[in-house]
Amino acid sequence: MTADILDGLAGLAPDSPIALLRRQRDAFVRHAQDSHTALITPADPGGLTLAERAAVALRVATLEGDAALIAHYRAQQPQPAADAVPRRLAAILRHVELVTATPGSATQANIAALRDAGLTPRDIVVITQIVAFVSYQIRVAAGLRALAAETRA
Amino acid sequence: MSNKRFTLDPVEWAAWMPPVDAATATPRQRAALEASPQRDSPYFLTLAHDVDSLEQRSPLFHAVMYAPRGLPRADRELATVVVSISNGCVYCSSVHARRFVELTKRPDVIQRLYDEGLDTPLEPRQRAIVDFAARLTRQPQAVTADDLRPLRAVGIDDLQIHDLIHAIAMFANANRLMQTLGEPVRG
Repeated sequence: MTADILDGLAGLAPDSPIALLRRQRDAFVRHAQDSHTALITPADPGGLTLAERAAVALRVATLEGDAALIAHYRAQQPQPAADAVPRRLAAILRHVELVTATPGSATQANIAALRDAGLTPRDIVVITQIVAFVSYQIRVAAGLRALAAETRA
Repeated sequence: MSNKRFTLDPVEWAAWMPPVDAATATPRQRAALEASPQRDSPYFLTLAHDVDSLEQRSPLFHAVMYAPRGLPRADRELATVVVSISNGCVYCSSVHARRFVELTKRPDVIQRLYDEGLDTPLEPRQRAIVDFAARLTRQPQAVTADDLRPLRAVGIDDLQIHDLIHAIAMFANANRLMQTLGEPVRG
């Protein structure tokens, strides 16, 4: 049995009250765990490497300032990050910052810039899904931590 | 910001990249689309470019919004409207505001949130849900057990708070997909 990632990010021991509360919603737990696999460690990563996927997730966690997620996605990086960020990854990470921080200001030109950098529609959907999923994880983890703190009060 | 006018009217959505062609979708893409709320919409056909993530996200979304018991559906819809207003997602707010009104017959609540902002006077239960949704959306790292007190004060229990957290988080997700892969189109 693989450890549940959201339990870990929220700091929940498997038999703690809030971890058990989560198990009343089995589908939430299962599809979040499997979303992580689909986005971060898929069997067929297609045009976006595992290193790029981890870098996207790490940038979201860093922008949001969540220490647990930063540590998690740093550990997901397949090898030590290179000093020089390749031009393609730089274009990806610029887009990640937009989608994370100011999604309402995105325009079709932002998508065109990614296409110009050689990214396919699937690559662009994956990048966006990773940002969206990590944004979800951050708020679930923050909410669960508050619930857990309440049980200790 | 004129295109950021929130509405209770139906809004369409147009993709900024060619969506998957439904006629040539693979069996896996078709199955993942079947499990999505609107299988023929340009939004889900765009997400179908990556079937691995769509086949997990659609059942996650469905569970978070419709799982039985726990937080009443109208409260989940209200929370998602608040998140969508905070993030400026005109399309998401239109869809889920109309769901809230179908369930509650209270278009006045939505119209006040649109016209006067999230601080508009509300009944205590709605006030607690709106405040928590805005807080977890905008400052997730600042949320503490103290932020749960107003929810407890109106009788919202553990499972309901759990569900509320997930509805809010799901729209941190949905708003980012909707607003950066395409745009709302008024009918």
